[in-house]
Amino acid sequence: MNKYEPILLKNMMQPGYTGSLADYERAGGYQALRKALGKIAPADIIEVVKKSGLRGRGGAGFPTGVKWSFIPKDHQGPRYLICNADESEPGTFKDRQLMERDPHQMIEGMILAAYAISTHVAYIYIRGEFVLGAKILENALAEAYRAGYLGPNILGSGFALDIYMHRGAGAYICGEETALLESMEGKRGLPRSKPPFPATHGLFQQPTVVNNVETLANVPYIVNRGPEWFTAIGRPPKSTGTRIFCLSGHVKRPGNYEVPMGITFREMIYEIAGGMRGDKPLKAFIPGGASAAFLTPEHLDVKMDFDSVAQAGSMLGSGGVTVMEEGTCMVWAAENLLQFFNHESCGKCTPCREGSLWLLQILRRIEHGRGRQEDLDLLLRLCGNIAGRTVCAFGDAEIAPITSTLQHFRDEYETHIREQRCPFRPQPAAELITVGH
Amino acid sequence: MADMVNVLIDGKPIAVEKGTLVIEAARRLGIMVPHFCYHPKLTYDANCRMCLVEIEKIPKLQTSCSTVCTEGMVVRTNTPVVNEAHQSVLEFILANHPLDCPICDQGGRCDLQDFSHQYTPTTSVFSDTKRVYQKEFFSPLIEKEMNRCVSCLRCVRYCDEVMDVKALGNAGRSTMTEIVHFAGHQLDCEFCGGCVQICPVGAITSRLSMYEFRPWMMKRADTTCGYCGDGCALILQTRDQKVVEVMSAYGEGRNNGDLCARGFFGYQYVTHQDRLTSPLIRQTDDQLHPATWDEALPALAERLTQLKLAHGAEAIGGLISARCTNEDLYFFQKFMRLTIGSNHLDSTPRYGHVNAARALRRVQGTNRWTVSYEDLVQADVLLLIGTQVTAANPIVGLKVKEAVKKRGATLLTLETLTPSIDTTSNITNLSAKHLTIQVGRHGAAVQGLVKAVFDENLVDAGLSARAGELVSRVRAAATALPYPSDVDEATLRAMVRTFAGARRGVILIGQDLLQAAGGYEATVNLMDFLLLIGKLTQPGWGLAPLTEENNEQGAVEMGAMAEYLPGPTDITDPTARSVLAGVWKEEPPVSKGLRLLEMIEAARSGRLKALIVIGENPVRSLPASLKAAEALEKLELLVVQELFLTETARLADVVLPACSYAEKNGTFTNSEGSVQKVRQGLDPIGDSRPDWEILSSLSVLMGYPLEYGDAKEILKEIRAAIPSYRILGATPEPARVDSRTVEQYVSGGFADDLATRYRATPSPKSNGHAWHLRVGQTLFHSGAMSTKAKGLLEIQKEGKLIMNPVDGERLGLAEGDRVRVRSTAGEASVPVTMLGRIPAGTLFYPESFREDLASLLAVTPDPVTGVPYGKQVTVTVEKAGSGGGK
Repeated sequence: MNKYEPILLKNMMQPGYTGSLADYERAGGYQALRKALGKIAPADIIEVVKKSGLRGRGGAGFPTGVKWSFIPKDHQGPRYLICNADESEPGTFKDRQLMERDPHQMIEGMILAAYAISTHVAYIYIRGEFVLGAKILENALAEAYRAGYLGPNILGSGFALDIYMHRGAGAYICGEETALLESMEGKRGLPRSKPPFPATHGLFQQPTVVNNVETLANVPYIVNRGPEWFTAIGRPPKSTGTRIFCLSGHVKRPGNYEVPMGITFREMIYEIAGGMRGDKPLKAFIPGGASAAFLTPEHLDVKMDFDSVAQAGSMLGSGGVTVMEEGTCMVWAAENLLQFFNHESCGKCTPCREGSLWLLQILRRIEHGRGRQEDLDLLLRLCGNIAGRTVCAFGDAEIAPITSTLQHFRDEYETHIREQRCPFRPQPAAELITVGH
Repeated sequence: MADMVNVLIDGKPIAVEKGTLVIEAARRLGIMVPHFCYHPKLTYDANCRMCLVEIEKIPKLQTSCSTVCTEGMVVRTNTPVVNEAHQSVLEFILANHPLDCPICDQGGRCDLQDFSHQYTPTTSVFSDTKRVYQKEFFSPLIEKEMNRCVSCLRCVRYCDEVMDVKALGNAGRSTMTEIVHFAGHQLDCEFCGGCVQICPVGAITSRLSMYEFRPWMMKRADTTCGYCGDGCALILQTRDQKVVEVMSAYGEGRNNGDLCARGFFGYQYVTHQDRLTSPLIRQTDDQLHPATWDEALPALAERLTQLKLAHGAEAIGGLISARCTNEDLYFFQKFMRLTIGSNHLDSTPRYGHVNAARALRRVQGTNRWTVSYEDLVQADVLLLIGTQVTAANPIVGLKVKEAVKKRGATLLTLETLTPSIDTTSNITNLSAKHLTIQVGRHGAAVQGLVKAVFDENLVDAGLSARAGELVSRVRAAATALPYPSDVDEATLRAMVRTFAGARRGVILIGQDLLQAAGGYEATVNLMDFLLLIGKLTQPGWGLAPLTEENNEQGAVEMGAMAEYLPGPTDITDPTARSVLAGVWKEEPPVSKGLRLLEMIEAARSGRLKALIVIGENPVRSLPASLKAAEALEKLELLVVQELFLTETARLADVVLPACSYAEKNGTFTNSEGSVQKVRQGLDPIGDSRPDWEILSSLSVLMGYPLEYGDAKEILKEIRAAIPSYRILGATPEPARVDSRTVEQYVSGGFADDLATRYRATPSPKSNGHAWHLRVGQTLFHSGAMSTKAKGLLEIQKEGKLIMNPVDGERLGLAEGDRVRVRSTAGEASVPVTMLGRIPAGTLFYPESFREDLASLLAVTPDPVTGVPYGKQVTVTVEKAGSGGGK
């Protein structure tokens, strides 16, 4: 059981909580806004968030207050805030729950963030498949307008903000912030070459802050209770506050669990998520979404915070923890993920565009009994030629499953090749090699 | 210097301007960093990852195309790590590349081939299934072979950033990414050929020359385009007496490598099977029969001499096309004036450009632009009046797009267009302020501009002090007029405020203004406008008339018009006459020359006995109601020098085959005043000869020899006769306003026709004819010549009447339906098509197919400049009865 006090999931866990404005207000919602608007200077809000040590919950973990402070103070013309609600990382499903079950928490966070960076226009870029979430947010926005939390003069403070929702059309890459910007501008969602960064040249080339749903949802609590309260949670100084981890795979109780950062994977998997399905031994787990490198049982005592996971050779990423039991084929797991990455590679830059299908074809061959001895070196060489040479982080993400399974389970690959079959499958599989999607 | 930074690339130091990209700094040092997606014309995209380099203090390799040089930066482009990175990018590309180099038209000039040769081993470790795209039908002109594509997106970016057309996009993901156009039909765009030119590999190639060459088999001639007045540098690639392809190189010419459909796909008329290959002489059976030059020329010389003796030199006239070189034009007028002894001569600018030339000379003392293309790009505000710039002058259109899209210039447009999204670009889509001007109402709008200068209190204080009388009299005249009722007054006034308040501004005017009644007055009024706001003499400011044909500027400057001597100078100007006499060793005749329409009338009345027509086709170009053919048939001798047997040539007594621009040397002068080389790419087709050579032979046979060894010798004489031709080159200094002329104008010259220029211009007479029809230039054709170009016919094979979709719907018309069009002069039946850019209530018909509508048009000569206005008419339109189709 999760013995930790939740922050973001707290309201929705109350019986009968609907996520309506009334419910949210009853639970103390919009108090931070009342406290801040017109009473705390925008620069001081940024200072508070900086002090809290809040880091982005989307994947990269960039300090939120620092990101806000990059917006040029003297900029003439519009600036924008965008809530990145394009949650598409395989194994990650926390933002969806935050939006569907307690939308005002995120909206209040957005208003505070907008106030802090002095913008009057904010957007929610929501994953196209989140139809329910979009409807709920639409209602919530309407409620907020009616209650005067949005509009030309919020709570009589003179601060104006409009929030618009923009639904994506089904591309994983649009979760990458610059591809998201392109998509919002009405173009094909392809990542931009950086620099310049969105803080100076974002949406329509104007200064822009892009924050994840969970990140923004934390802001009201930080403003309300102060940075000291926040830094006391988790593993300061680098990993403050809670994280919502999305447990999936071969555990007894998959689901979203909000815990202070810094507990061990062992506690998370064996206590909070109820342990392994059928009590089988654990073989591997992905600690932070499909883009994170696989870890093994020897990493179970690694602490779930930014630095510890990085030290273990992976990343905390989006918080999606996918657990695999003994008997899971690691080549198949890598192939499965590559199938996703090949499908989602936007096609903009050469190494990722041409590399993803090549890697997938090799993995398929190995998994389906047609591997060659030289394939393993080739895989590693190709991964090396993608790493760090692509326009965006997608290239590094797509090679993580391959390099990490090869690192930890090279013998398994070798068995596939030696025996010309997958040792975890009863029969050699039918010919599956196809090109394209 | 503060705005420079020092970098070290491969150990070589260089100082570059702040903001310079590493790849550019390296190029200046002679270091070529390999790349596919980078192109200096385009915003960098950094997608090919080929140009990775090592930069000290940055752990990862960086793309040199997207990295800006900073002070002290140390870059290495040729280390083992960098080379391995380049090699790996090539390995990825080649994994799926078909290696069909033996049949690829890019073979031999392909970046992928070159880099592969430089970097990769001969065997690939790729042994999986190659991606294969199914062959797709793209366009009759452009071949798309996606298996060869490296996805650099240069084509997509060019089509958007430079052309503003957006016909191409990239679709699909991962390895299956491909370049696409809007589906469901073949590619429909401006066909500028930019995607073909900018593709670094063989993914997009021209179908006109598919499989016809290897690059090393072609002979190259660097020349100048013969279509419009933009004056684009062209590279003619020929093989075995055929033009195989046309291209233009980045960094070259006034067009900087950009071309339009006419330039890129319109070259095949040159070798069309209908080209005249030998002289033709009308025999006693009244038919034209082939003859040799030795038969044709002596007989012709004798006939001309006889007519001159019998009726005087005044019985002979000449017409020449502005498609000809300066050397032809200059020779022609000298031949007419000295060998023949007649001032009856005229040329293409008579159809409209002379309005601009005369107005500019009158007010600013030079007929030339006082700005260059660079000034267009650098301007903060551009005002376009009746230019139809994309159709008529596409490359100047690109300069306007560049100014607006890259430099953020403000665009103001007074055009017979409405903003709309379409398969070709629409300049008004980029306008900050636009007013849709009815056909024939540009002059009224210009009067409104002048009036607004007063109403907005924008008169230059210096001018008020210096030229009080001009200011007060123009004020009285202009403000007495109401604002034109058909445009929004507030917008017009706002335009004037924006324009007058700019740092640098240029006004571009074109055929809709110059070829419409009142074109001359409107141009002078625009000069008033510039004077009044104090900008006429400011550097970077000016009025820039655009020419429809390639050498109209040259035709005026060579003096190939009755009223002008080379310069141009007025034929009545004694100083100019004596200067020219110094060069010619003889004075030009003094008699007043007849202009185009006057010559036609003189032929009709029998006063003119002989006419020499070079490349002109008055029978086709003048409205049928004028009955030019009837008049020409009355001549005792009609001589036509031509490429094809035109309507006029069919009436001739002697037809002489002339060379096209591809077969001769010389120069063209573009709208902007750049005098550029025309170089021979082909041997003359058949027995054809350059126009000046034909006239030269005649002059010898007529006993008044004008002999030159080659075109260069003529140019030498031109340069002696015309001061502005002494310095030649692709980027001339723009002409300067002559302050003495301005002074004369300001101190009284303006007054002569003030009342005429500022009288109310009534809406064109409708006579119950509600539609305003305009015949004009389309993007895909130019005159009748282009209708012999296979490539252009693939794009547009016939004329269609274009109307607004709303009008089409109102009349119950579908695409391709035939309509009956009636004017007071006659009627015609033509098919229709609908386009949102054509304003409601107006109609457009492409000039290149004007014969379809010839019966509708009437002609009115300009009382001052003699321009035969005949391209605009009011008509009625009705759906042709069912079964009325051809």
